[in-house]
Amino acid sequence: METQYSNEDDIYSLDIESLLSGNRRSLARSITLIESSRFDHRDLAENLLSRIMPRTGGAIRIGISGPPGVGKSTFIESFGLYLSNKNLKIAVLTIDPSSKRSGGSILGDKTRMPKLAQLENAFIRSSPAGLTLGGVARRTRETILLCESAGYDVVIVETVGVGQSEYAVADMVDMFVLLVQPGGGDDLQGIKRGVMELADLIIVTKSDGDLKHSAQRTAQDFRSALSFLRNESDDWVPKVIPCSALNSEGIEEAWKIMQLFHSKLNTSGGLARKRGSQASSWMWAEVQETLVGRLRESQSAKKLAQKLESDVINGLVAPGVAARHLLNAFLADD
Amino acid sequence: MGNFANKNLTDWHQLVESELKGGSSEDLIWDTPEEISIKPLYTAADLEGLEMSGQMPGFAPFSRGVRATMYANRPWTIRQYAGFATAQESNAFYKRNLAGGQKGLSVAFDLATHRGYDSDHPRVHGDVGKAGVAIDTVEDMKILFDGIPLNNVSVSMTMNGAVLPVLAAFIVAAEEQGCSKELLSGTIQNDILKEFMVRNTYIYPPAPSMRIVADIISYTAVEMPKFNSISISGYHMQEAGANLVQELAFTLANGKEYVSTAVNNGLDVDKFAPRLSFFFCVGMNFFMEVAKLRAARSLWARLMSDFHPKDPRSLMLRTHVQTSGVSITEQDPYNNVIRTAYEAMAAVLGGTQSLHTNALDEAVALPSDFSARIARNTQLILSEETGITKVVDPLGGSYYIESLTASMEQEALKLIKKIDEMGGMTEAVANGMPKLMIEETAARRQARIDRGEEVIVGVNRYKNNDDDMPELLSIDNTAVREAQIQRTETIRKNRNKKEWMSAVDALTRGAENKENLLALSIEAMRQRATVGEVSEALEKVFTRYSATTRSVSGIYGSAYKKDAEFNDIQNKIKSFLNEEGRRPRMLVVKLGQDGHDRGAKIIATAFADIGFDVDIGPLFQTPEEAAREAIENDVHVIGVSSLAAGHNTLVPELINMLQEFNANEILVVCGGVIPPNDYEFLKNAGVAAVFGPGTNIPSAATKVIELIRQRSKAA
Ligand code: B12
Ligand SMILES: Nc1nc2c(ncn2[C@@H]2O[C@H](COP(=O)(O)OP(=O)(O)OP(=O)(O)O)[C@@H](O)[C@H]2O)c(=O)[nH]1
Ligand SMILES: [Mg+2]
Repeated sequence: METQYSNEDDIYSLDIESLLSGNRRSLARSITLIESSRFDHRDLAENLLSRIMPRTGGAIRIGISGPPGVGKSTFIESFGLYLSNKNLKIAVLTIDPSSKRSGGSILGDKTRMPKLAQLENAFIRSSPAGLTLGGVARRTRETILLCESAGYDVVIVETVGVGQSEYAVADMVDMFVLLVQPGGGDDLQGIKRGVMELADLIIVTKSDGDLKHSAQRTAQDFRSALSFLRNESDDWVPKVIPCSALNSEGIEEAWKIMQLFHSKLNTSGGLARKRGSQASSWMWAEVQETLVGRLRESQSAKKLAQKLESDVINGLVAPGVAARHLLNAFLADD
Repeated sequence: MGNFANKNLTDWHQLVESELKGGSSEDLIWDTPEEISIKPLYTAADLEGLEMSGQMPGFAPFSRGVRATMYANRPWTIRQYAGFATAQESNAFYKRNLAGGQKGLSVAFDLATHRGYDSDHPRVHGDVGKAGVAIDTVEDMKILFDGIPLNNVSVSMTMNGAVLPVLAAFIVAAEEQGCSKELLSGTIQNDILKEFMVRNTYIYPPAPSMRIVADIISYTAVEMPKFNSISISGYHMQEAGANLVQELAFTLANGKEYVSTAVNNGLDVDKFAPRLSFFFCVGMNFFMEVAKLRAARSLWARLMSDFHPKDPRSLMLRTHVQTSGVSITEQDPYNNVIRTAYEAMAAVLGGTQSLHTNALDEAVALPSDFSARIARNTQLILSEETGITKVVDPLGGSYYIESLTASMEQEALKLIKKIDEMGGMTEAVANGMPKLMIEETAARRQARIDRGEEVIVGVNRYKNNDDDMPELLSIDNTAVREAQIQRTETIRKNRNKKEWMSAVDALTRGAENKENLLALSIEAMRQRATVGEVSEALEKVFTRYSATTRSVSGIYGSAYKKDAEFNDIQNKIKSFLNEEGRRPRMLVVKLGQDGHDRGAKIIATAFADIGFDVDIGPLFQTPEEAAREAIENDVHVIGVSSLAAGHNTLVPELINMLQEFNANEILVVCGGVIPPNDYEFLKNAGVAAVFGPGTNIPSAATKVIELIRQRSKAA
């Protein structure tokens, strides 16, 4: 019945032309390949990535984070509709690291964007979180590249602000946007100082109806808090705006700020530096992960590791000594 | 004559220990899903301290009944819920039922109408006339009640979302039939809070929806003295999975919320509270259901006292009951007559004012003439042959019933207090807490059934291998839709454009201001506006609501800890993961206006617990939207959960869309209420498997994994 794919492995020998031409199905299949945990798929994925590399880099990459229920999905929907009206293509990648799991996950329910999902200009993909945050980050980074190669102008990575996920996301996008609730400005909602330092833009959501006033006050509170955090020598001074996704107020302003950010950093060379350093730390992260991965799989190292581990537990060998011993043995073997 | 010594509890305990050969009565305690512990024996000691003594029926707090004479004077009203296809066909069905001994009417509308769409709207083309009667204009409503004198027959209408145009059409139809609105008796459901919780036929967001409820209460309080302005419904909660305490508590909490809303709007409580009515479900837990109805009455009387009414009728909880549809099984369908009869008896012993009994074929279709007759006769026999009507509250004074009534009241009150602390039911509903609690209870129950811990005869025990289903009612929705579209087109052409337009515009303005929206809707419907046009005029101001789906996880799986078979499936998934590089991924979808989400949610949470990655689509998707979501997330399989009979139209469309997107290796499976005759049709259309009511979830999951593997081998 299927004509396109003739055997199992061929499922992933994707038609790159079709991906580059923006075919929805091909993009979706490529993401599956990127996300696959099978070894041979990794090779195919790397092959794919190498071939699309020249066509990547063209999008504005935006990370959006914030506590559960703050209004991330509603904002992205409203923002996406606005961009689509400007004839821009928008891809939304959602990851939910709150469900670190050993079993299956429920996806898509927290990231509902019903109107955006219908637009020709939009692509929405939710990804199950793996066991490690690093794993999520690697796949999402590569998925951003795929979206760019398929011609998306804006790529948004949405994540619930829990655990360390903000750091991972901030490290793969050009601009990190933090969404916060109106009210409770006094203690700044217990937002970690580190996370606030990451933010290039803070959006106070739900600035409408009864909450409008409180949203404006909260924005003011964040502005003064931020003034203590950043030093003026940076390329960019973070902004704070109130926004109502419900009434589409503040959406245009958010976009203007993002464009300004982009052009400023483009001229200053800051964007290239940022992407460059993200890429190099990504490379090292890959090295680290692959190395550990290989080591854990190596049969000979496994035996030694077990023995060393028990020695370390029993206090017979110092952990540092054991680690070096294990590494040396593994590298010599390899 | 023998002379017997008085024995006490200590004596009994001793005897129990010897009968149990060393065990104790504690071993016989039954922990119900409500977390109430039922002892094997109740005695006078259990009644100590209860306020029941000296209570008389007809007096507050009414636990023994709202009337002094109850059925001894007049039996409950037999009120069967029905409606399908066109107004003509439903009208004929109603007339046959009235002739057969039914007393009041109860109208079931189709889902297009419920959601405020005309029959020609593109989002409803699988839904017209399928799960109720299609009504677009006053002309349809006039046909529906043709030859039925509305000043004599009381009419209950289950309508919540599109309550304004539908109630307005009813009023205008009656008026044009020669019956003025003061004379109309009956009930409009108008209970929007439970729509957001479990029934899912809302249209606007909660705040404007509550305003509509209040507008209807104020209008009817003045203009329609014999009409119940609202039917506060727990029925749907139990059908969605709530246990009896949840059903009781959430319903009364909703009631409280409506009363506060009306009072805050400046209405005198005695002007409307006597016209509030209630609606409960009665399922298989016989005595607890009786106790629930008794507790509902006394608890409501207590809650209402806080509003300081002067009229004792304001304290009175009058209720309709429907037997539980969820207890109806596809397997061995004649068992359903027996179940329904027991449930009907519990409802009557609990003192209901009116009753609907389910038909034996309701797990797979709307009732046929045959199954409707048996359902009606179940009540007639109870009422006219058993003598059960002769004595008021015959279980009153029973140690067990009285004690259980008190426990139900206490437990429900605890939950109501919790909701009060959250700021009332509107807040709680917005926050999603009641819905999630209900879904958790439903997931637990599903696990008990799938594990065989809760027996359902013919489903998980004592299976009968050749189930003979009687001939089913089947509806040709294309024909119904075409007939509707034609009639509505003619009306649109022939109406007075100017009058019509100004009436519809007045509605939009009225929504912006504070005018009474029922009054304005009546004018619009009189000018032959359609249900869809009125809904749209309001939608311009109110917007259309789309709910955020929240889901439970871990509840189903935790019931299976250390279960060998379950582990086996989980291992299958692990090897799938190793071989395929990812877990099996399934998108669960609801197509069209079908809002039954209990099954879909249970499948989603259970499959995720088993180890699938599960995407949950939003309610009301079109086949095209579902196909796109499946493709973008590159799922292996789409699981359509179809309960409102849209499958024969919508599922083939979904498969076509997948083909159009060049994604035909995505499997489609189907579950839910699928009549046996449709299996063949669906398979020919390309559906890989169909999982009907009573499906055991772990076996379904195993089957789905197999199908995915076969597909990827074949590909
Ligand atoms: C519960 C129920 C309701 C509840 C729904 C609550 C909720 N949130 O879901 C309430 C009371 C609100 C309700 C309302 C209505 N209902 Co209703 N309802 C039922 C009832 C009694 C049980 C359905 C159920 O939830 N069973 C429990 C769940 C767990 O089972 P399930 O969904 O069948 O799922 C199992 C299998 O089918 C399978 N499965 C299902 N989906 C999938 C998907 C996949 C991928 C897989 C693998 C398996 C699978 O696995 C599950 C586990 O075993 C059925 C009759 C019946 N006995 O089935 C009528 C029924 C579905 N309702 C019906 C109707 C008409 C309505 C209304 C439209 C009435 C009206 N006109 O107003 C309304 C409107 C609701 C709406 N918005 O769409 C009709 C539909 C008629 C038809 N198909 O021809 C039925 C058949 C009753 C009848 N005969 O009249 N209903
Ligand atoms: N009044 C108002 N409410 C909003 C606005 N944006 C979101 N909301 C509401 O806030 C709630 C949460 O919105 P979501 O967009 O689902 O929030 P989220 O951050 O994506 O939530 P999670 O994915 O669960 O973490 C919903 O009930 C929205 O209707 C807004 O601009 N104004
Ligand atoms: Mg979200």
